[in-house]
Amino acid sequence: MEHLSVASPAGIVLSLDAVLILLLALACLGSKLFDRYLTYYGLQSVLLAVAAGTAAFVEKDPALWALAGLTLVLKGIAIPEAARRLLVRRLDLKRDVATIVGPSTSLILGAILAGFAYLVIGPQHLAHGLISASIIPISTAVILIGALAMVVRRHMVAQLLGWLIMENGVFLGGITLTASFPFIVEAGIFFDVVAGFLIMLAMTTGLAESLIPLSDRRRREPT
Amino acid sequence: MIFLPISAALAPLLGTVAGLLTARARLAGLLTIAGGAICLVLSATTAAVVMAGQPIESVGSLVYVDGLGAFFALTIAVVILLSSLGSLSYLAVEQRSGALSPRRVRVYFAVFGFFATGMMASVETANLGLLFILVEAATLASVVLVPIEGRTSGLEAGWRYVVVSSMGITMALAGTLFVFYAATGLPGDPQDHLAWAFLVRHASSLSPVSLRLGFLLAVVGYGTKVGLVPMHTWLPDAHSEAPSPASAMLSGALLNVGMYAIIRFIAIANGRLGPAYASHVLLVFGFLSVLVGALFMVRRRDFKRLFAYSSVEHMGIIAIGLGFGGLLGVYGALLHALNHSVGKTLLFLTGGSVVLAYGTRRSDRIGGVLTSLPVTGATLLLGSLAILGSPPFGLFISEFTIVRAGLAAADPTLVGVFLLLLVVIFLGFFRTTSGMALGPAEPRVHSPYLGALERWTAHAPVVLGLAALLLLGLWVPGWLNALLLRSVELVR
Repeated sequence: MEHLSVASPAGIVLSLDAVLILLLALACLGSKLFDRYLTYYGLQSVLLAVAAGTAAFVEKDPALWALAGLTLVLKGIAIPEAARRLLVRRLDLKRDVATIVGPSTSLILGAILAGFAYLVIGPQHLAHGLISASIIPISTAVILIGALAMVVRRHMVAQLLGWLIMENGVFLGGITLTASFPFIVEAGIFFDVVAGFLIMLAMTTGLAESLIPLSDRRRREPT
Repeated sequence: MIFLPISAALAPLLGTVAGLLTARARLAGLLTIAGGAICLVLSATTAAVVMAGQPIESVGSLVYVDGLGAFFALTIAVVILLSSLGSLSYLAVEQRSGALSPRRVRVYFAVFGFFATGMMASVETANLGLLFILVEAATLASVVLVPIEGRTSGLEAGWRYVVVSSMGITMALAGTLFVFYAATGLPGDPQDHLAWAFLVRHASSLSPVSLRLGFLLAVVGYGTKVGLVPMHTWLPDAHSEAPSPASAMLSGALLNVGMYAIIRFIAIANGRLGPAYASHVLLVFGFLSVLVGALFMVRRRDFKRLFAYSSVEHMGIIAIGLGFGGLLGVYGALLHALNHSVGKTLLFLTGGSVVLAYGTRRSDRIGGVLTSLPVTGATLLLGSLAILGSPPFGLFISEFTIVRAGLAAADPTLVGVFLLLLVVIFLGFFRTTSGMALGPAEPRVHSPYLGALERWTAHAPVVLGLAALLLLGLWVPGWLNALLLRSVELVR
């Protein structure tokens, strides 16, 4: 898979797909609305499923097809939908104000990180004309942007989304480099992500509920 | 032979079954202890089999136990058994006082078993991808234990723990991918390229650029799990908020699992990049950790946080030992990992008794433990001396070995700085714990444990741990020495 040429049809699809994934990570970083975070993340996961599907098509590997399907259903639909219902709507989250820097500064930092990823893992270090040379720097950039989102945002839901974006970045790299990864490893990583999401979901809800009495008390106090 | 390590890893699941079956802390605790004991016996047998012959290996290296794996499995199994003993008494008291609902007791034991199994399995595979999955699974399980006492501060600590360590471990996964990529073009089945045994054998033909990047990411990623500074921010919160037997598992066992993963990456990196590269990286992280540990241990009021910072310090010492390298350095680091596991487990379990009796973690409100609770007070004092590396306990020997390695390999000023920091830590730490243990007794404080079963399970692990540390300080048994030497060979 990593020996696939960039110029082949599958290579072109994968490269375009990866660029869109990077753009969605940046879009998420530049947004301030919780609802948008989820939309961008869901779209990004759908594109990830397309990447996995392309890899499955090239490798003719049923396990990869299964992984593409799982990505689409769980990451593309179930996780964003669950987060939207259980977190954003229930806790009535609209604008994310708990950020250390504003969206435009975040975007500039994100762009710097993307450039940094290209410098460090520049295609010059990887074999020329192969798909890995074009995708590995992109996936590294997505990982760094996800990490940046976790650092500049203080809100729990926003940090959770940052982590999910990081995971998508790793997965993108994983699909390209490692169609030869043993399936048990890919599936295991996948389920770790889902379990992590569920635990974080439970903790966010728990914390939000334990904080509600406090805010009620504040509301009742004359100001 | 492959069933041995597999059943050793699965044995603690007995606790999970117990948690699902019964909400009574005593009964679930007894089953968990049985699981821990079986796990320890099977791990010891595994180690004996590995020492007698070749590594235990399955097809595709999914299960693989060599000397190093067997050594770490043994240390983890010891911690699991000691903590499960402590869990019985601690949870029985909390259940009786109403601090824990029956449902939470169930969750505790169910998750405890799963957590233990995840850690045991982590050190029994050769597949770097599977290693990541198991470490992450064990971490996620341990996250559930942190806020189980239901405080908001516990939930916050748990949140910081899960976010920071998930972020770190994602970096480790990226590092794993780069190491895998460094192996492209090597002969053999690509499925093998994730097995560190294969990677170590073929290290000389790995691509250095992606190997260097992969190694750094892996050290930062698993270093987050280990609590190396500056990736340690979650550790004091999580380790102090968790119930004490769970803190013992987190500090005594899970940190070692992270260190184990780093050691495997060192073995791969040394084969291609030379020992100097990994050594520099580890010395930087190690010294930073000991320094920050020392600074934060002075005048720390919450004594469980004090213990947690001490874990940061000791992980730093292990990293320094690995950084000094050579036979002495690696030997000292591994021995220190074992000593620290036992010492920190017994300290956290002792701390658990203190918390139950006094109802606070603030050291300035605790005094006269030695008079009110003689056994707990004595183990608190002796355990503190042991963890600070005073003779005649095991940590003295391992720290001394690391210092000797430093004098042989590195600049003597570096060793001087190291010793100076240890003195600062000694003063800061012992001032707090001796203040707790000595002083006038508080008349209203009495032992929280009712009945022989609770008393025995509370005191036995602490006294056994102390005896083991004393023994290790006087004499490293021949079989342990052989196991350590075998492990050192695998790293160098």
